[in-house]
Amino acid sequence: MTDIDAREAASALSDIESIVQRVRQSTIYKFASLMLILWGALIFAGNIACEFWPRQGGYIWIAVNILGCAGSLAVGTFESRRGRVRHFDLRVVAAIVLFFAFGILWSVGLGHFTPRQLGAFWPTYFMMFYTVVGLWVGFAFVAIGLGVTVLTVIGYFFSGDAFNLWMAVANGGGLILGGLWMRRS
Amino acid sequence: MAELDDIIHQALRLKIMAALNALPAGSGLEFSRLKKLTGATDGNLGAHIETLSKAGYVGVDKAFVGKKPQTTVTATAAGRGAFARHVATLQEIIAGAAGQH
Repeated sequence: MTDIDAREAASALSDIESIVQRVRQSTIYKFASLMLILWGALIFAGNIACEFWPRQGGYIWIAVNILGCAGSLAVGTFESRRGRVRHFDLRVVAAIVLFFAFGILWSVGLGHFTPRQLGAFWPTYFMMFYTVVGLWVGFAFVAIGLGVTVLTVIGYFFSGDAFNLWMAVANGGGLILGGLWMRRS
Repeated sequence: MAELDDIIHQALRLKIMAALNALPAGSGLEFSRLKKLTGATDGNLGAHIETLSKAGYVGVDKAFVGKKPQTTVTATAAGRGAFARHVATLQEIIAGAAGQH
């Protein structure tokens, strides 16, 4: 029989707590990485489509968002069945609805943003959300959020007529690379 | 007072059981992910999983994903029970020491 003192017992419990935290973070990263890759691919395609059909931009982004939400739901259901996501929380849906409602209120309802401003607003708005969540969930979210935000701001001021192409690479490509990096973290 | 479980108490096996126990019942971890989480080497991790498996604390499932072999380790109900008792004993030891002061 193993005999240990209180200090060793506390150390063992601390090891357990540490590994539990790492498993939780790893599980979140694995799930989030799939979402990032999915949204990154769609955003890449959306920006490329806007480059060729700029007048259809509104419809293109509605389609991107519908496909993204449907894909996210499919990934969530798949991961839930594999036991990686414990349960579907309605508060997450409410948070997403509030997030979009606030963004639409300002960008369309009150702000009357230009296409270029819209192209910079939504990515930076999304990335602010990532960055804030990352403060609790893990450094990778903060790095991806700040990285894409900085690239978006640079593109907004300096990419000229190539803004859509810049955003396809910086935002779409950034999310895909971020997702792949997160899978390895 | 309950006794510590000698099989689980070893440092790496404790980490393995803690990691598997953090998942919902029935869910497992791939060998590569478990290796990254515990920081163990292939040989060391394999040997300790074998010990836990012989004790009936974990199940080991080997399958092919495409052409790549994938080993998934899952905590059994017996393993989860043993781990919970082990943690309770650790907490009792700490509480007992605090009571003496």
